[in-house]
Amino acid sequence: MKVAVIQFPGSNCEHETLVAARSAGLNGEIFRWNRPAEELCDFDGYMIPGGFSYQDRLRAGAIASKEPVMETLKEEADEGKPVLGICNGFQILVESGMLPGLDGVDAALAQNVMVTKGEIVRRGFYCAWISLRHDAVAGRCSGSYLIDKGSLIDMPMAHAEGNLVTADENLIEKLNEENQIVFRYCDTGGETKNEFPVNVNGSVENIAGICNPEGNVLGMMPHPERSSFAWQLPFVDPAARRQIDTPGPGRLIFESMKRYIEVSG
Amino acid sequence: MRIIGHLDQEVETNLRGAGLGLTVSEARSIADILRRDPTLPELFNYDTMWSEHCSYKSSRATLQEFLHTTGPNVVQGPEEDAGIVAIDDTWCVVIAHESHNHPSQILPNEGAATGIGGIVRDVNCMGAKVVATADPLRFGDPNGPDANHVRWVAEGVVDGIWQYGNALGVPVMAGDVVFDDSFDTNCLVNVVAIGVVKRDEIIKSRAPPGAGEKGYDVILIGKPTDSSGFGGVTFASEALRAEDEDANRGAIQIPDPFLKNVLFKANQDLFEMTRSEGITIGFKDLGGGGFTCASSEMGASAGYGMDLDLDLVHRAGDLPPEVIGCAETQERFLLICPPKMTPRALNIYNEDWDLPNVYEGARASMVGKMTTNGRYITRHKGRETCNVPIEHLTGGIRYQREEKPREMHHMEPAIEVPQDLSQVLLRVLASPNTSSREHVYRYYDTEVQGNTVIRPGEADAGLIAPVRGERFGIALSVDSNPFYGRISPYWAGATAVAEAMRNVASIGAVPWTMTDCLNFGNPEKPEAFWEFREAVRGLSDAAKALWLKGHQNAPVPIVSGNVSFYNESPEGTVDPSPVIACVGLIDDVGDAVTMNLKEPGNNIFLIGPRFDELGGSDYYRTVCGATGANVPQVRFDLERKMIHTTIDSIARGFVVSAHDISNGGLGATAAEMALTGKADLGIELALDRAGSSRLGTDRLIFSESSGFLLECRAGAEEDLAGLMKERGLDLMRLGAVKDAPELVMTRKDTKVVCLDLEAARKAWTGGLVEAMR
Repeated sequence: MKVAVIQFPGSNCEHETLVAARSAGLNGEIFRWNRPAEELCDFDGYMIPGGFSYQDRLRAGAIASKEPVMETLKEEADEGKPVLGICNGFQILVESGMLPGLDGVDAALAQNVMVTKGEIVRRGFYCAWISLRHDAVAGRCSGSYLIDKGSLIDMPMAHAEGNLVTADENLIEKLNEENQIVFRYCDTGGETKNEFPVNVNGSVENIAGICNPEGNVLGMMPHPERSSFAWQLPFVDPAARRQIDTPGPGRLIFESMKRYIEVSG
Repeated sequence: MRIIGHLDQEVETNLRGAGLGLTVSEARSIADILRRDPTLPELFNYDTMWSEHCSYKSSRATLQEFLHTTGPNVVQGPEEDAGIVAIDDTWCVVIAHESHNHPSQILPNEGAATGIGGIVRDVNCMGAKVVATADPLRFGDPNGPDANHVRWVAEGVVDGIWQYGNALGVPVMAGDVVFDDSFDTNCLVNVVAIGVVKRDEIIKSRAPPGAGEKGYDVILIGKPTDSSGFGGVTFASEALRAEDEDANRGAIQIPDPFLKNVLFKANQDLFEMTRSEGITIGFKDLGGGGFTCASSEMGASAGYGMDLDLDLVHRAGDLPPEVIGCAETQERFLLICPPKMTPRALNIYNEDWDLPNVYEGARASMVGKMTTNGRYITRHKGRETCNVPIEHLTGGIRYQREEKPREMHHMEPAIEVPQDLSQVLLRVLASPNTSSREHVYRYYDTEVQGNTVIRPGEADAGLIAPVRGERFGIALSVDSNPFYGRISPYWAGATAVAEAMRNVASIGAVPWTMTDCLNFGNPEKPEAFWEFREAVRGLSDAAKALWLKGHQNAPVPIVSGNVSFYNESPEGTVDPSPVIACVGLIDDVGDAVTMNLKEPGNNIFLIGPRFDELGGSDYYRTVCGATGANVPQVRFDLERKMIHTTIDSIARGFVVSAHDISNGGLGATAAEMALTGKADLGIELALDRAGSSRLGTDRLIFSESSGFLLECRAGAEEDLAGLMKERGLDLMRLGAVKDAPELVMTRKDTKVVCLDLEAARKAWTGGLVEAMR
């Protein structure tokens, strides 16, 4: 099982994403954007890592989404191969139309706006460890295939534009109906209080990650690759840190993709 | 330019008219060596290379007199772009430290971003992977007469740092923010970068052996040269005047983290190619002084000459030769390699990484050849525009500046012990300098690269595990207290070293190397030069007395650094600010501890008694509105024993949380241990043993005398006491962790402080938000 971590100019998480994928038992390599796109067909799954592709020119993800490699990626996704977009990767998937993947419906990831008690307390970039609640059923989505509904997973978020917005007022309802909302920001008890700091970026209904209707394409703002080893966790018991390979909660995302490839292959 | 045979007055007018900073006597000495009038491009080259920024002409003698730059672990001292120390037989840590003060005062966002951009290049060009940065920042009084401007600068600087560092993909692991009215018109933006490299893969920033004889190629890589930053090093080597603001803006460089990100990856491919084929190259970043500085230093340090064709430099538009030479266009590198490698090197940048299509005008270009004639020659449009002895150009000049102690009349304030010390502690916790730094560090991506083990806010130092598969960790911390510097530059230097070392010791890491960024006023003024020398003497004494653990009397080496003079304006000069960055090493990241309280019932111990030395303390300034006179001193033997024994007690598992005492004294230190992490445990301390019985309770709580608060693992109390006794340290049991969210302090069995943690949290987390609003 071989995955491609697609590297655009300005990507900055490709190496740790590949390390996380390998820790889950996937093989893979970093795939530079200007390689012949057809070489992409040789892989079983795809990851678009975080970063600032093309400097977020125009909008985050806008330029990368128009690269030839994305056309090929769409075709491979249409075949049912799994795609995971993390942070800037999520932004690229939204800009390309692969997410939410509903024809004629549009969403965007806008600037973070942190609201507490009706007041804007902060805007823009924010880096913190947060809790996510998995709101899809196990098996619904390639990147969370192994995760039970309602499970809580800790990992860091670090972005300036992760606030999911839409001009179509029916979109969120549709996403809910189609079970496309995979992750929501929540507190340590699993409550999705719609207020900063639980809702870290102002995203509608605390949405942190969504999948396409088919479930094989997942986009999420937080970074599972930075939570794939126990030693990466804040305030972790030093005993857990001493075992270099003890998994962190984020590894489940990569193990899920592996399982999805096994099952769908 | 006409110099020979002209009057001083005429030469002065010509120099100033051309925008040169050279003095008349400097210009005459150049003409003497050349035995003719120099050309304008030659004068600009000398102006750049002989600036304070590039030549250290005022500081070099003092640095050589005091600083310890060698040691058993030093692989490379300060002679190149970054210093290097060994971690083990295979791995090394690379570190560089710089200031970007003047630009950040004028254009905070671009200025600060360029600071990050420059320092990461310094580390990368040694062949290293850049794994962390730190940002010591100094801003003016957020509530003073310049409040609006100060806040504008502070916000712009923080934005510049995150916009650059986050996009580049290097985590910010440490830093500090201090507000002090001496920075109202001169902010300080210091930047530190560290990297890792294998010892046998270090790349030198000089022409390789044989380069001259074999006519190696000189290749310029990166952004097209434009006029940005022209005159940058000269501007950094003068005091700031408001009327020059428009002109100074043009001297500020324009940063681009996106292009840098792509360049770093292309550089990595270049490095791998040269390593696999066993080819030695020279590689250097272009920073202050631009193309002239990078090229001439690479040639001169290897004893070669260079012949460079400025028409081959890829550039944005038609530029005069002195601008091509001296502009400080960002995101550029210079490569010296054998001609047979040139086509493949160009291919990596221009084809594989497609620079021309990724960024308009960016590419790699062959621009000249190495020679053996010792001359620095540039050509432009068919004319020879510069032909000077290369070692004369890079050798610079030296000045022996005068020093004179600054007259100071600091007094201790006459104060009564306040009635309500709980309220006083709340005020100190909420002060701009003691409050939580969370508001700032949440802007920084502290997690990128996935190597982070301890992040800002969890302990006194950040910790990364920078090499996957290896267990070792690198800790990073910075420190300098301007208020101590105001009273005593010597003790400011010494305490900056001690505190930076305590910070890394608090997580269990061994202070392994340091860098210094020395921020002072105009060195042509004897008082400012005295402050500089005093601070260097202080930090050097401390580095020696607090020797490298396990190597008695071997000073902790200072392998890199920077001197920033002229941090002054007509409104005044900055408080002496010797900023120290300390790199710590821990064999196994699994052994590191954070500062948050761990278990109810665990005993809390103090080492380091409290003294009546509250000069420059946050208590004096916040509560009494005074600076005071008795600045904290470093008791060298005690300090070294405390640092080394704290490290050992963590390594042996006796201590589960540690926090060093600094801003806000014992009171703030205890509160921070309770307010970090889950923050659901309290602490109760009896102050009676913390210092002399004659000390007022306020002094026991707020004295910033050096020390540590240690939370002992249950059952390890006797082991800890035994170890401390063996090392001659007085371990003082002050109290214990409580299973209730409150902070209690007693003296003579009377409660003197009783704070609800929620109230403390509100004060502590709100202070910086308020200061930067």
